[in-house]
Amino acid sequence: MNRFRVRVSSALTALALLAGTSSVSAQDQAPNLWFQGTRLIFVHSAPMQGDLAVSTRDDGLRRFLDRLGATVSFQPQQRYVVVTAQDRRTIVFTIGDPVYTIAGVRAQAPFAPTADGNDVVLPFYALARALYVEPVQNGGETVLQPRIGALEVRSDSSRTYVTVRGAMPLIAAMNADSADRVQISFTGMGSSLAAERRAPGAAVDEIDVAVGGSARVPTTTVTIAGIHGTTHRVIAADIPDAFTVVFETHGPLAQSAPPSPPPPGAAAPANGDYPPSGPSPQAMPTVAPPVVAGRATVTDLAIEPAPEDIAENRQFRNLHEIWLEGDHYKWRAMRADGVAVRVSLSGATSYEWHRLADNRWYIDFDNTTLNGPGRDERPAFGSVSSVRIRQQGTSDAPTVRVAFTMNGEQRIDLAPSDAGIVITVANAPSDDAVRIGTGHTGGAPLVASAASPDPGASAQPWKYGAGTNPKLIVIDPGHGGADVGTVHNGLTEKLLTFDIAQRLRTLLVAAGWTVRMTRDTDIDPVSGDNLNRMHADGKPNADDRAYLQTRCDVANNAGARLFISIHINSAPIESAHGTTFYWYKPQDAAFAQALEKSVIPAAGTFDDGTRHENFYVVRHTTMPAVLIETAFVTNPGDVTLLRQPSFLQNVAQGIANGVKAYAGAPSANALSRQ
Amino acid sequence: MRSIRALVLVVLFVAAVGAAWWYTHRQQTLGDTITVYYVKADGATLVPWRVTLGPARDRASVAFYAATQCVAGPPTGTEAVRFPAGTRVRAVNVVDSTADVDLTKDVASSAEGGFAESAEFKALVWTLTQPSLNITAVTVRVEGARVATLPGGHLELDEPFSRSSF
Repeated sequence: MNRFRVRVSSALTALALLAGTSSVSAQDQAPNLWFQGTRLIFVHSAPMQGDLAVSTRDDGLRRFLDRLGATVSFQPQQRYVVVTAQDRRTIVFTIGDPVYTIAGVRAQAPFAPTADGNDVVLPFYALARALYVEPVQNGGETVLQPRIGALEVRSDSSRTYVTVRGAMPLIAAMNADSADRVQISFTGMGSSLAAERRAPGAAVDEIDVAVGGSARVPTTTVTIAGIHGTTHRVIAADIPDAFTVVFETHGPLAQSAPPSPPPPGAAAPANGDYPPSGPSPQAMPTVAPPVVAGRATVTDLAIEPAPEDIAENRQFRNLHEIWLEGDHYKWRAMRADGVAVRVSLSGATSYEWHRLADNRWYIDFDNTTLNGPGRDERPAFGSVSSVRIRQQGTSDAPTVRVAFTMNGEQRIDLAPSDAGIVITVANAPSDDAVRIGTGHTGGAPLVASAASPDPGASAQPWKYGAGTNPKLIVIDPGHGGADVGTVHNGLTEKLLTFDIAQRLRTLLVAAGWTVRMTRDTDIDPVSGDNLNRMHADGKPNADDRAYLQTRCDVANNAGARLFISIHINSAPIESAHGTTFYWYKPQDAAFAQALEKSVIPAAGTFDDGTRHENFYVVRHTTMPAVLIETAFVTNPGDVTLLRQPSFLQNVAQGIANGVKAYAGAPSANALSRQ
Repeated sequence: MRSIRALVLVVLFVAAVGAAWWYTHRQQTLGDTITVYYVKADGATLVPWRVTLGPARDRASVAFYAATQCVAGPPTGTEAVRFPAGTRVRAVNVVDSTADVDLTKDVASSAEGGFAESAEFKALVWTLTQPSLNITAVTVRVEGARVATLPGGHLELDEPFSRSSF
């Protein structure tokens, strides 16, 4: 019965408030409220059951919540009213029921909230307390005093994190600061915390809380005593309403940082031999191991031109013999271009190559056996003094290594194909700063293990040649014009993506590709006017589809071989870092994996892997397409990298290497289409 | 005697039909808590956590509640990929097995890259498609409008999401 009366009373009051009737004379009855030095006036309010009923349409309540960074979510015809605090706690009221929850903990309000359409009447004091604001009587006025509402102590084996959370952004001052003790004052903040507590943390012994000042300008002082021998430091909290101190038992705090990138060049071992990837070369088997299903096998290694052909300057008896066997003239003509080593493989495999510091270069084929004994070849021409092939690894993880010793640091090109790989050592110095690379060879693409292709997508295997322009690669520098992309730490995404794209274009053109960009300057590909309007009102609009489709159409209409979209990532958390390769269509997977294996060692970023995601530009392009999120503008380590032109160059070089690993050389592509 | 047997058979038949109807039309019971998901800092790992429900148990209210909890994110101190600050759920309308979620424009206020976009919507979709809500697909609006993507965005938003979308 009593509950029924409360509900009826609530409803009547709510109706009165929402109708704005003067008979309630809300202002007359409302207490004299002060908040942050100004009077808080509610127009739609009335005292009720020891609390204050306030409508969510009241401007005073809106201002109050805005100052605290809190928001209200309510949907008519539904019963829950969710208030989200600045620190992400939710205070959930239920229409018609006085029970509410604060971060999941149940509490009881003096009366039940009521609703009429979009308007809700809430118990204001209950809401304020949940937001760490305490009504304090001060003479004839009620001061809404922001308070320190939570003190979190979190420990691991050697550190204790003490975090103080308040109703509003905290203004902290250090009163005393010694090695194992710190005293911090928070001006303008009262406290709802216990005066003293023992901290069970690994590095903190005791925490004291004292409150001083006046009702309007309170001060809370927190003293934290670490155990003997600890050190401490203040670290950035997740929101301005929080303040965090870390105590640790020994040594300075370890800084979280991305894993160290691999060294840009593998230093030559002191003994002058190649770094082993398994047993030493002397221990290599000289007979072919048994063929295991799923493994690749090196069936042949041929140096072109054949050394004997060149050395003997072969003579032909007649024109017919020249016609039949005179292919060596072609190879002789190629001497100027260098030495080509053709490694024939049965089955698909991945490889990794390294350039050493003393004119040596080697390539390892994973999970591969050598069909025959190892060989040493010494071409008597060109810039290659020796070529060796060896079985390495173990019986469980066999590796075949092909190693070159050159007369200088020559440029090496790789052309993987279904039948194996051709390694061309050019008679020209390398201008490639990259010392490590990866790729795969063989007919079957290596499908990313992180996700399986969308079962709803086309099950037709993609075949090379689907595009009508097999030498064309389209580069999509993400964002542009009014669409600046993400902006953090002084870095702007649209400028970085364009920078990398330009570098990549130069590399790909040098490799013989034709390159088209979705934008050649700082514009968006559709219409700057549309984007300006879009950003002016802050709302997305229907032009987003045309905007992104335009980028896809550049590649689709031209029948491009590949599509590469370059982006810079950001995240609401600082710790996220690294490079991610997004794909959607089944045929994208192998390309994404090839880029991953090339970009990561070249750029030295953390490998976030390849991910299957419904991203527009990779979904709506018809050729293998990958969207690369290069690094995070929100992570300190990545930001340091993104500020270096050499890093942007390395990213571009890594992508170019990945294109080469995946698609080979453009001329080879053109031939294979015929 | 035969009429009694026939009556018993009819009663048994009706009971069986009724039980079958109840079994196929029953809703999973909503308890005192509901599962809400967030995505860890790696951008991929889903983590469920349980939040306390208030007194309301109707599906529309609980779906709205779950969506707002998901957008608010897990408790502070938990490292998670979170929706942009200020993002709110304007409405969740449930029709049959599809939930239509309307978010405030704050979700598009900061270009956050594909990493955050996919993690945020993955958490939202997994939260709303939990078995107790009998929802299998989620569509998204921003300020009441259907959008292809967020501005300059990555994730395609104008098609229904399901758990297999991620």
